[in-house]
Amino acid sequence: MSTGVAVEAANLHRQFGAKVVLRDLNFHAEPGEFVVIVGRSGCGKSTLLRLLAGIDRAERGSIQISGEVLIGLCSSARMVFQDGRLLPWLRVGDNVALGLPKDNDGRVRDMLDRVGLADRIRDWPAILSGGQKQRVALARALAANPGLLLLDEPLGSLDALTRLEMQGLIESLWHQSGATTILVTHDVEEAVALADRIVLLKRGHAEDEWLVDLPRPRDRSNPAFSGLVQSVLGHVMEV
Amino acid sequence: MRRKLIPWLVPLALLLLWQVSGSVGWLSNRVLPTPAAVLAAGWHLGASGELASHIAISAQRAAVGFAIGGGIGLLLGILTGSSRIAEDLIDGSVQMLRTVPHLALIPLVILWLGVGEAAKIFLVALGVLFPIYLNTHHGVRTVDSGLIEMARVYGLGRWDLFRKVLLPGALPSILIGVRYALGVMWLTLIVAETIAATSGIGYLAMNAREFLRTDVVVLSILLYALLGKLADSVARWLERRLLPWHPAHAVALPAALPGEGA
Repeated sequence: MSTGVAVEAANLHRQFGAKVVLRDLNFHAEPGEFVVIVGRSGCGKSTLLRLLAGIDRAERGSIQISGEVLIGLCSSARMVFQDGRLLPWLRVGDNVALGLPKDNDGRVRDMLDRVGLADRIRDWPAILSGGQKQRVALARALAANPGLLLLDEPLGSLDALTRLEMQGLIESLWHQSGATTILVTHDVEEAVALADRIVLLKRGHAEDEWLVDLPRPRDRSNPAFSGLVQSVLGHVMEV
Repeated sequence: MRRKLIPWLVPLALLLLWQVSGSVGWLSNRVLPTPAAVLAAGWHLGASGELASHIAISAQRAAVGFAIGGGIGLLLGILTGSSRIAEDLIDGSVQMLRTVPHLALIPLVILWLGVGEAAKIFLVALGVLFPIYLNTHHGVRTVDSGLIEMARVYGLGRWDLFRKVLLPGALPSILIGVRYALGVMWLTLIVAETIAATSGIGYLAMNAREFLRTDVVVLSILLYALLGKLADSVARWLERRLLPWHPAHAVALPAALPGEGA
């Protein structure tokens, strides 16, 4: 179990050419918190995640991870991408071992066991289904005990039933790992099912936020659940 | 069973026709010796050990030339594929040199290096260098940038990034270059050995021509074909061996079994 880091981003500004993607954005996450960022496509939510990972740099503003200013790649962060990005030439087990110190057999086995794929350790990624690939990607992300887990629409290309299963898995992995988790999605129901706090990104800044004070695992038939989904959805759709 | 036999019918019939027309005298031995005569020539040269020594010297030239040219091409390709500065510095010059047909250099190479081993190995190396270089460069350049980004986020250093991402990602393209280069290798060797040599398969053919031994000439041609085929088989074997993960070589397995969803 690792300890989640605190994330504090202030006045972030990022533009590509003349197009401003993030303008004076403030964002924070408590240690161990599950924050979900929602918004329509092109609102800058993936860009924010890439800034937090240190893959990309902001023109202005600062990011602090556990009180330290982020320069370059964020060493405590691991990211799961929408397209999985498993290395096709490494077996499932070797993919999970990527970036782990040597002699990691036990750790790899343990992580694959947690995502229910212990028996696929010797398989090539090419023969896995989309959902299985994302399970491996999750195992790989959590193998090194990251303090910050960044999920960039990891369920975006999965079918509805697989998504439901994977949401349950993500919740239990987050719970076990203790990592501060930031999930980007455009699925509001997914946001309400997983988040401690939902942040709505619009036109490059944080427009609104909701604390989700519902018991976990969340009951989708609860009127409070659907009420919150409707309320958030209304704000997302509002021009 | 029948489907395996049918493709052999036409070549066998042609072979039979060739043999018969030679035997009854429709086809002069000067023009084309019969398959049996070619076989006999092969048997004769094989028994004296002459054939083996010619094959060995040709194979050695091919291998040494390939190793030198392929090695340089691979190194340069990796360098220019993974570094912008190296690409700006070297790639333009290599692309320019590539337009010179390497066989056109034969007169110059003979002047520089004489007719010894060095000249032939130099020509083979030069011919092999460019296809390997081009495919290596292209392979490294076109590795999915998403994978490189992922590897950086997961804390891979430069060496690991190269070893685990760039090189395996470029390997399918590199092996295409290898197959192409093997063809160039034999072609170069045939030309170089028929022009200036005192040993090797090409010499065997040219020497036989002077004595009007068409059977040995045809035998030499067949040997080149056989060696070419052998090299291609080795390349295919390498592909299966080095790219077991590649969908083209994977054992047929369904991508996802029903009911196994996630």
